Amino acid sequence: MEKLTNALAARFASPTRSTRLSVVLGRWLGLSFTICFLTGLFSHGLQEPPSWMFFPTSPVWIYQLTQGIHVTTGIAAIPLLLAKLWSVYPELLKWPPVKSVAHGLERASIALFVASSLLQLTTGLINTYKWYPWPFPFRQTHYWLAWVIWGSLLLHIAVKLPLIIEHWRARSGTGAGAGSPAPVTDDGGAPPEAGRWSRRAFLAAVGVTTGAVVLTTAGQSFPWLDPLNLFAPRKMGTGPQSVPVNRTAADAKVAELAGAKDWTLTVSHQDTRRSLSLSELQALPQYEHELPIACVEGWSQTARWRGVRIRDLVAAVGAPSSSALRVTSLEPEGAYRTMVMPAAYAQDERTLVALELNGQTLDLDHGYPARIIAPGRPGVLQTKWLHTMEVL
Amino acid sequence: MKPEMPAKAAKPAGAGNAVKIWRIVLGAAGAALAGYGLLGLPTQLGPPQLLGLLVWMAVAVLLHDGVIVPVSTAAGGGLTRLGSGLRPASAAVLRGALMTGAVVTAIAGILLKAQSVARNTSALEGDYAARLLWFWVVLAGLAAVLVYGIERAGPGRGEREQKTRP
Repeated sequence: MEKLTNALAARFASPTRSTRLSVVLGRWLGLSFTICFLTGLFSHGLQEPPSWMFFPTSPVWIYQLTQGIHVTTGIAAIPLLLAKLWSVYPELLKWPPVKSVAHGLERASIALFVASSLLQLTTGLINTYKWYPWPFPFRQTHYWLAWVIWGSLLLHIAVKLPLIIEHWRARSGTGAGAGSPAPVTDDGGAPPEAGRWSRRAFLAAVGVTTGAVVLTTAGQSFPWLDPLNLFAPRKMGTGPQSVPVNRTAADAKVAELAGAKDWTLTVSHQDTRRSLSLSELQALPQYEHELPIACVEGWSQTARWRGVRIRDLVAAVGAPSSSALRVTSLEPEGAYRTMVMPAAYAQDERTLVALELNGQTLDLDHGYPARIIAPGRPGVLQTKWLHTMEVL
Repeated sequence: MKPEMPAKAAKPAGAGNAVKIWRIVLGAAGAALAGYGLLGLPTQLGPPQLLGLLVWMAVAVLLHDGVIVPVSTAAGGGLTRLGSGLRPASAAVLRGALMTGAVVTAIAGILLKAQSVARNTSALEGDYAARLLWFWVVLAGLAAVLVYGIERAGPGRGEREQKTRP
């Protein structure tokens, strides 16, 4: 068996692979996973807030930024992970596979890290396409696997720390120092064989590849990259009223209820209850703000929203301005049919019951007759097709 | 090959007490966080979903270790032969262009598959196949121009140094 694995290892041997290469790629990958982890925790905290959660409403594009970074960095991590795994592939073929209990635990933690990372990045990417071919719930799995990945990453760093420290900087005289033009390879060996490439050339190619996937997808999150948006599932400026739609009225089965002539928005606080028709809402003071709608899948779009301030409606039923709200949609079912809005959003002057989008009456797919728009909140919590608002 | 360490070499950078402490702290924190995640999964996923997750993880690893790496290694072997007559910089441009094209194609391929099966009509509206084709045209053009320029230019400083080395 050992002969077989040695023969296989020889088959996969490449002078480009080295510990230094793995350390450099590991740094890039570790940074991208950490950014994904932290921005993912922020997004999760906004959607399922713990008691200590903070809710920043300024700048209004904060969630647009953090979730755009989350998805873009996750996409960037795909070539980085592939390159990192390629750099250590011969380790997989070492025999015996387990030398001791400690070695077995180390390999098990690496197996967990690799399997979780491959799955996390693949399903994360496919989720942005709104395609769910797996037999488990995405959001919960994505959340718990993030802890598994970041934990096993720390564990892996602990195991490899001496090697990481030893190869953190290119050693002098090896030709791997910054700016060195020498053709010698990583560990002071011979120049690359004809037709092969050096570690630096490999790293440059990984950098270019990562740049290519970022530049051709990040335009869904960052307007200045929109002209290069070739392979993102969303394009800015598309959809009704030039704003993309995630859940259509047909998907939500609300077309009939939302189009009813006797539609009203009911606002309640303890025993006080007010039902406002669309024309009554339109008769209230109207405010207009430029706010982005930013989806958990990474796409976002800034638009002009016009409508009634939530805090005016809260005041209209005699509730204190520091109140949280429970908002219900006309949707008969769905995970986000009911939404709780913390006081930080409810009292912000830019949080609206929007009746207009980009100067026109809301399109049915954007939540006609009325929807929520608040600064810095995930798109799934910007409830459409409003039915009731209860002050908590 | 790394050079043998002399018998009385300086202490390796990663052998100090501080490093040991860091390893213990990072290891304990990592094990705790990974354990938190592993214990959290069954609180929200039922047994069939956990089994499905394990199957997907296993398939992801098998696909990577059993298909992607062997295929890319075979492709690399072919490129070594193909690029043996080129200058190292040209060979690197060729390999880099193919790496970029392969990864972008993989991502766009999943996008095309999603486009063909997804029910949501408000996303995935682009003509991704045509865009991928154009991407390859531009990539191939850039790579060709770079290789042509490198091959036409004189040998680089590195190559001159290589030739003078014993």
